[in-house]
Amino acid sequence: MIRSNDRRGGITSNIDWVAVLLYFALITFGWVNIYAATNRGSADSAFAITERYGMQLIWIGGSLLIGVVMMLLDYKYYHILAYPAYIFALLLIIITFTPLGHESNGAHAWIKIGPLLIQPAEFMKIGAALAVARFMSAYTFSTQKLSDVVKLAAIIGVPMLAILLQNDTGSALVYCSFLFMLFREGLNVWIYVVIGFVVALFILSFWIEPTVMVVLLIVVCTALQTLQNRNIRASLRYLAGVTLGTIALHYLFVALKTDVSMFWTILIVLGASLPFVVVYAYRKHLGSVFMYLLLFVFSIGFSQVTDVVFEKMQPHQKHRILDLLGIESDASKWGYNVIQSKIAIGSGGFAGKGFMNGTQTKFNFVPEQETDFIFCTVGEEWGFLGTMFVLVLFAMFILRLMQMGERQQESFGRVYCYSVAGIFMMHVFINIGMTIGLMPVIGIPLPFFSYGGSSFLAFSLLFFIALRLDEANRELNSFSI
Amino acid sequence: MYQGSGKYILLKYAVLIVFGIIALRLFHIQIIDNSYKRSSANNSLRYEVQYPPRGVVYDRNGEYLIQSKEIYDLMIIPGDVEPFDTMLMCRIVNVSKERLKRELRKARNYSWRRPSVLLSQISKEAKLRLDELNYPGFYVVLRTARSYPRNIAGNLLGYVGEVSEKDIERDCYYRSGDYIGKSGIELAYEKELRGEKGVKINLVDVHGIVKGQYEDGQFDTLPTAGLALTSTLDARLQEFGEQLMVGKVGSIVAIEPATGEILIMASSPSYNPDQLVGRERGNNYMKLLNDRRRPLFNRAVMSKYPPGSTFKLVNGLIGLQEGVLTTGQHYPCSMGYKVGKGVACHAHPSPIKLNQAVQMSCNAYFCYVFRNILDNNKKYDNIGDALDKWNEYVYSFGFGRKLDSDFTGELNGNVPTRNYYDRVYNKHWNSLTVISLSIGQGELGCTPLQMANLAATIANRGYYYIPHVVKKIEGRDSIDRRFYERHTTLIDRKHFDPIVDGMYKAVHEPGGTAVALGYLQGLELCGKTGTAQNPQGKDHSTFLGFAPKDNPKIAISVYVENGGFGGTIAVPIASLIVEKYLTDTITRPHLVDYVKNMKIAYPYYDKK
Repeated sequence: MIRSNDRRGGITSNIDWVAVLLYFALITFGWVNIYAATNRGSADSAFAITERYGMQLIWIGGSLLIGVVMMLLDYKYYHILAYPAYIFALLLIIITFTPLGHESNGAHAWIKIGPLLIQPAEFMKIGAALAVARFMSAYTFSTQKLSDVVKLAAIIGVPMLAILLQNDTGSALVYCSFLFMLFREGLNVWIYVVIGFVVALFILSFWIEPTVMVVLLIVVCTALQTLQNRNIRASLRYLAGVTLGTIALHYLFVALKTDVSMFWTILIVLGASLPFVVVYAYRKHLGSVFMYLLLFVFSIGFSQVTDVVFEKMQPHQKHRILDLLGIESDASKWGYNVIQSKIAIGSGGFAGKGFMNGTQTKFNFVPEQETDFIFCTVGEEWGFLGTMFVLVLFAMFILRLMQMGERQQESFGRVYCYSVAGIFMMHVFINIGMTIGLMPVIGIPLPFFSYGGSSFLAFSLLFFIALRLDEANRELNSFSI
Repeated sequence: MYQGSGKYILLKYAVLIVFGIIALRLFHIQIIDNSYKRSSANNSLRYEVQYPPRGVVYDRNGEYLIQSKEIYDLMIIPGDVEPFDTMLMCRIVNVSKERLKRELRKARNYSWRRPSVLLSQISKEAKLRLDELNYPGFYVVLRTARSYPRNIAGNLLGYVGEVSEKDIERDCYYRSGDYIGKSGIELAYEKELRGEKGVKINLVDVHGIVKGQYEDGQFDTLPTAGLALTSTLDARLQEFGEQLMVGKVGSIVAIEPATGEILIMASSPSYNPDQLVGRERGNNYMKLLNDRRRPLFNRAVMSKYPPGSTFKLVNGLIGLQEGVLTTGQHYPCSMGYKVGKGVACHAHPSPIKLNQAVQMSCNAYFCYVFRNILDNNKKYDNIGDALDKWNEYVYSFGFGRKLDSDFTGELNGNVPTRNYYDRVYNKHWNSLTVISLSIGQGELGCTPLQMANLAATIANRGYYYIPHVVKKIEGRDSIDRRFYERHTTLIDRKHFDPIVDGMYKAVHEPGGTAVALGYLQGLELCGKTGTAQNPQGKDHSTFLGFAPKDNPKIAISVYVENGGFGGTIAVPIASLIVEKYLTDTITRPHLVDYVKNMKIAYPYYDKK
């Protein structure tokens, strides 16, 4: 375990000091903002543990201590301990379902040990990143093999599902960030296209009426098909036929005094047109027509399912989605959080109101200002300069992690570093996006900024492990030269 | 280098694009869109207006006419309330337990976190007691309200009320919910009395709870108290005058001739000014507004009365000045002036000269005088020119126009002009057509203030100062300069002597119209009665005069609607007030009783 400090001047010379600097810049500015957000002027010392900023300082110190210990651990142990860590974290999550678990804000996500509240989902990320790295670093692994991908999906999916069951949607969503790493590892690009399409369809199904949706999909599918098969006359004839058929059927229904909506009228006409399309495709030997037919049916089905799922959602979740999509807006109700958050950030202007002078955040206009909405304090007190500073730090930090991954010689380290980069990316984008109305209100912390011991420790550990792996890699490199 | 380094670059760009989108959005929110900054100010700054105490008003002797009374409102923040001794609280603030519970419920329904008034206008003792107990969630705030120690001069002092939309439009000083003088002195001296509002900018949190001062209060301003006014009124005299006028409709105006300071301005019926303060204000106001005797109507300046015989003084003076009348000129009268449609008169010796005509108020005498003025062919080509000249004289006494006094609601009165008669009579009119003017009837309309001003003018032998009710404003050396300007009539000083002599005789010599109830040894009251014909009912009783004869200290005009003959009611009132003012005693209690017990019927005010 104890390595010789040989030739190159010891462990320190191989550490990526740029990454360390970025890390310290982030945690320092993060704590400054927690201090501003939670200081009520009641305690006279910055270290008062009765106050949240004091508490956070203890977490920071503890994390740094553990981080140093992690740096001293031989890098091989991470490889060896990957699965045990994964299992251990999963067990912790399972404990939250037992009487030892603690519920807060509707999520069953904590374990209470004395005065400490621990959120296992935060540590699960480390376990999952290590396990995924371990699994994908296997010599036989290939992203092209379906069985491997399914197993991988299980490794990622199990904790995700467990966290979903905790009713902590935000933390579960973070596991989608592995897609970031998987893109680098060569997962089929079509999967990303399909995901993009589904997401677009999901958003569109809120924005537009089902009837319009159907018409739009017919036009889009027909147009795509036409582009590929260059049969514009037939396509136009088909569209004209469907239009005429719909009008005729609609007036027939009116005449019969039956109450059939336009949506179903169009679907009936389309159903009736199906044999013609099939016969046409067979005659012309146009297999792609079937593909677009399938796409159409899937899309219609999906948008219908979306509606059903949406109806089953909790009211606050519904409102958050509708609010984000700009469909509903009400300053005093559920849109409140986002509006207050935007006001706080927007009112900071270019240079901000100054440290400790944020009126929006200080007086509780912004909810959860020291946890999920800590970015409001940054925006209000430090202005555009401050938010840009944070963005640049995070961007450099994430790019640095990716770079650390790229220079790894072993796929274990690369996968791990990319996973960590993805996790940070996801957190930063969702959290900041939420405070400025780009994303729905999903409660996940902003790394190193949001108050909370578990998340701070977890993010620090994620980073320190990456740093350790990178250091080991450089050491190996220096040997090989 | 490695497989998939192309994807590394792709992902790098993806990361940069995502951060770019966030940066753009932040740029929009923080730099371009200003609406968030405004929202932020509305969100967290609360401008708390600090109301200054309104200026107090003293009478000429330093007695309070209007005081700013401190009132205490018990405030509550329901969220902070801890269990407390309700019975003790009820005892302290003197309300029933049910009432307290009801108010508590109301406050809770309004807001759990915001302060609301639990009980308004609690006593100072209750305030001190509650401060001592210091129940969490309760506190007492100080406000000021008007109070009137003597409950007099309601119409003159006026009242304060919430600003109207128009007030806010007219003057940006006012905000909804502010108070403003609505009438009387309160209105006329609004700018002096209101003071200057201050503002306290507080930082509030999401619950509207004050968290501290904005920028340590460097943008706060302190309220400046309203200026105190010293009125020219004599509170005790005013009170006495109002007592004498109880049950009668009309007004008393008394002026200090040497300065134009108004000593009394009583309009009857009046009202208790305290009625228009506090919680019952709205109800009381409607009651007063709907009272058929119109107590809110300041008759002293807003009523246009025919001056009646008191106006003979003016015609006599004009005659002398115009040279169409001499002091020795005798005219006969046998129960009236018998030319044209004629003017009736009462029984008195005949023929008489000017001072006797004033003394006995002979109608015929002034018909001769008036016709001589208008038909003075030597001086004027036609009657129109003569009437123009007469108008000029009358205006110089302050008739037919506002005197430009310092309170609001003054009426012009009416003095008919040549144009008016040309129009009405299609240019066919002569001195007989307008003969009623000779005895102060016809189209003439004067306010009691203008009549008092006439009394002051005669007392001064030919000049007056604009009557006014405020003599000093706190912190200022002088009041408006117009009140120091002497307004001289177009009548020479010497012509006043015979008129004054007649007025002296009217009170002091047998046959004088005001002797019976007006004479008092040593008072030296000079005056002229008037019995103004009133087509709607009984004649109005009026009297104007001054005392003492030389170096007069007080000029007075009394007008009692439907009071009948001038000597019966207007004269004793004037005499008593002059006596009280000059000697500070009342030696004729029987006369006071006589005046107080006099019942006058007002059929057209009281009919349904």
